[in-house]
Order: sequence, then C-alpha cells, then structure tokens
Amino acid sequence: MDIGGVSRKSVPILSAEEAIATFKQDVDRPRCASTPCSPIKSTLAGYQIVHMDSNYLVGFTTGEELLKMAQQWSTSTPEQSSLPGVSPSFVTTTGPKANDLGIHRGSRILKAKSRSYQPYGVPVANGQSRRRMPSSGDTLLRSLTHGESRKGLHGPLPLCLIKGNRAQAKSLDYLNLDKMSIRESTDTEVLQYQLQHLTLRGECLFSRNQT
Amino acid sequence: MSYSCTSRGNSQDPSSAKKKPAGNNPSRDAGGGIQTNSSATTVTGGGSQGNKEPNPTPAMKVKKGCNSADVGVPVTSEEELHANTTITPVDVLGLQKITKSYLCGPDENVYNIDFTRFKIRDMETGTVLFEITKPPSTDRAGQKKDVDRDAGRFVRYQFTPAFLRLRQVGATVEFTVGDMPIDNFRMIERHYFREKLLKSFDFEFGFCMPSSKNTCEHIYEFPPLSEELMREMILHPYETQSDSFYFVDHKLVMHNKADYSYSGGQ
Repeated sequence: MDIGGVSRKSVPILSAEEAIATFKQDVDRPRCASTPCSPIKSTLAGYQIVHMDSNYLVGFTTGEELLKMAQQWSTSTPEQSSLPGVSPSFVTTTGPKANDLGIHRGSRILKAKSRSYQPYGVPVANGQSRRRMPSSGDTLLRSLTHGESRKGLHGPLPLCLIKGNRAQAKSLDYLNLDKMSIRESTDTEVLQYQLQHLTLRGECLFSRNQT
Repeated sequence: MSYSCTSRGNSQDPSSAKKKPAGNNPSRDAGGGIQTNSSATTVTGGGSQGNKEPNPTPAMKVKKGCNSADVGVPVTSEEELHANTTITPVDVLGLQKITKSYLCGPDENVYNIDFTRFKIRDMETGTVLFEITKPPSTDRAGQKKDVDRDAGRFVRYQFTPAFLRLRQVGATVEFTVGDMPIDNFRMIERHYFREKLLKSFDFEFGFCMPSSKNTCEHIYEFPPLSEELMREMILHPYETQSDSFYFVDHKLVMHNKADYSYSGGQ
C-alpha cells in the first residue's frame, strides 16, 4: 500500500526456501549438540532469514554485507562487475524490472568510475616511470563515498561503517608506505645521488663564472 | 520451557510522533552454552501511568515530548560520553541525535549476550513480518578485527510504505547469556529521522540466569504519523536510524545500530 492508501501491485513473495537459495553458500556446518535441528546451509553473514513478508519488508542486510559489496564495487572491473542490483547478500523481493534497472545503472557507474581515476605519475628513474600505488583503503573509501550514485541501489553506507573502515584504511596506508619505502630505496638513493651531482655542477659553474 | 516476558516498556515521543520500526538486530557477539530455563514470567511494562491496562491510550502510555530536558534528563553528547569510563541509561537518554560511532566496543559484552532469533509481527492481525535466526556463536578461536565486529552490529531494513501504517508491532527477541547471571538487563532504543529524535523506547528484560536461553517480546506502540512526515520518511531512505543500547546493572555493554528505508517495492 502506498502513502495514498492505494494498494500496491503484488510483488513476488520470497519464500523461506527461495530466500535461503539466494544467499551465498557457506560450508556445511556440523550439527551442534545443543541445536539438534538441521544445519544451516545458507546464511547471510551468519543469519538465516526464516520469514519475510514482502508486503511490509523487502530487504534486509547486515553491515558486513554492505562492506563486502563496497569492496567488490571498488575492486571489480566493468566486465567482471558483480552487479549490486542482484547481489545475493542483500535479500530483496523486488521484481525483475527493478533488478534490470539496477544492473544497467551499476554498469554505468562502474564505467564512469574507471575513467575518472588518474593516478599521478612519479618522475622517471632508471628509465622507468613509476606510479603511486594506491592503498586498498583509497579505493575502498572512494567507493564508499559514492553515496549519491549508489543511493538508488542500496543507499549510502552509514557513517559508523565508514569510520570503522577509515581506521582500517589508515593502517593499510601505513603498510603501503612501508612497502614503498623498502621497494623504492634504491631509486631514492639514485635520485639523491643525481641531485647531489647536479648541485655540485651548479656550484662549479658558478665559481667559473665568477672567476 | 524458556524464560519469557512480554513487555510494553516505556516510550516517549513528540505529539507529532513518527512511526518507527520495531526492534533491532541480533548481535553477532558470541554466546556461551545453552540451557533452557524452566520458569516463565509474563511482565507487562507501560508508559507513565503504569502497566496493567491492556490497551492504554497513547496519551497515557507515552511520555509527552521527546526532549530529554522535559523529563529531567540532562542533555548529553556523543563526544562527552566517549570520555566516560562507563555509560549509564541516563547518559544515553540525554542524546539528542544518532551517534556517529559506537559508544562501546564489542569486547565490552562481558556477559556474552548473544541474540539468536528476532521476530516482528503486527499485533493487530498477528501477521509475522520478519523473522531471522542465528546459530549461537561457539567458535571464538578466530578473533575478528574490531572493524568487522562493528559491521556485525549494524543492520539495514528496507520496509515498504505499508509498514508506516502499522500501529502496534511486537518484537520478539531470543538470546543466550554466558556464565554470569545478568541483573537489570535493559534496552534503550532511540529512533531518529534526520538526526531528530522521533521516539525513545525503554524495555527491561529483568534477570537472566547464567547459561540460559531467554525469550522476550517487546511491544512497540506507534501513534499515527502525519502524511507529510510519512512522505518525508519514504522519500529519504536510510535517513531514519536507530541506536540500541543494552545495559546490565546500569552499565552499557552493547550498542547496535540500524537504519531504515520505507520506499521498498517502489
């Protein structure tokens, strides 16, 4: 029923079996002695949705799944994109038309994303140009902040999740910097050596001109 | 049989209150072994007037005004509470907006309270709207990073506009507790729309035996919402948010969060 009191079109109701089938498959868990019921085969980040009345509730997801989707979003290519509109980790009972729209929109967003990213170049050393290696946190945060573009799909990520990831990203950035400094020590030394020689040459020229 | 309770709790909302979905999310915190308690208790909580009437009128069961200052609670901020070593129910009742981060870490759940089942139903028709279960966490060997465990404390609901028409929703929570007895187990749940407090619910679970499995149903009573307010909530998905604070002996032990959309199916 919409806000005007008009009854909505009937939407396919996702039965418990269908809901379970849309979840990602987990490894079969052994039975627990205290829970003699059947083992849960398909879970949504550890949960099992037993019932969902699509007249009132059409979607449920956890913070973990949202973060996973965001990470997939940030790392996937347009050809290999897992399309959020049909992500199994966000249980939804929307019809096929809505999913198609989500697919199309997701593709457009991914293409725009890949064009806009331009890593800056680093001065040539040893005849090879280098790029700044983006930290994993950068790409993740970039995807997380695409709130507007993804709002139509699953909404922006809540601040509490972004803050948590930002803290993690900072530690990852730190690791990346460490790796860069180890890998690039030789290049840095070469640059420093060349810079020193340039400076000395400059001083020699200056002294010659003066004399 | 397991311990059970039915509680209407205390709630306060403004005169133009907004409807809020019931309950929150099962936590991912680990629980201990499970034994069922043989006692059964029915408790009915109420608003300002008491708890005996089966269907008290909204004016009687709902405290007027959502401003905590109206009910004598000092206004607090998230930043202030982060500086406290312990957080009490009075502290969170003074919060005026949704918190940006969690007020306690996952490790502060020293009582190993683990939510294993959650169900919401329309009390007028008995229709079960949603039910979710989670097997008790027995594997604590792989300690997750705090950021993952924080993510496990958040859920997102996508409701349809029809949900906003419901007046009374029952939320059944099943949970296990660890080896320590739990006294004065209490939940305060605050719902906001665009960082404005809509309604605050206050439910008491009471005493829980150690290593027990308990079930409790809380009844959320929603006053009618204005059409304009419902329209705003529908048009702005996930700007309706909630904080669920859990206390044992008046100390915060768990903090869960959720946000809500009401444009589902459109």
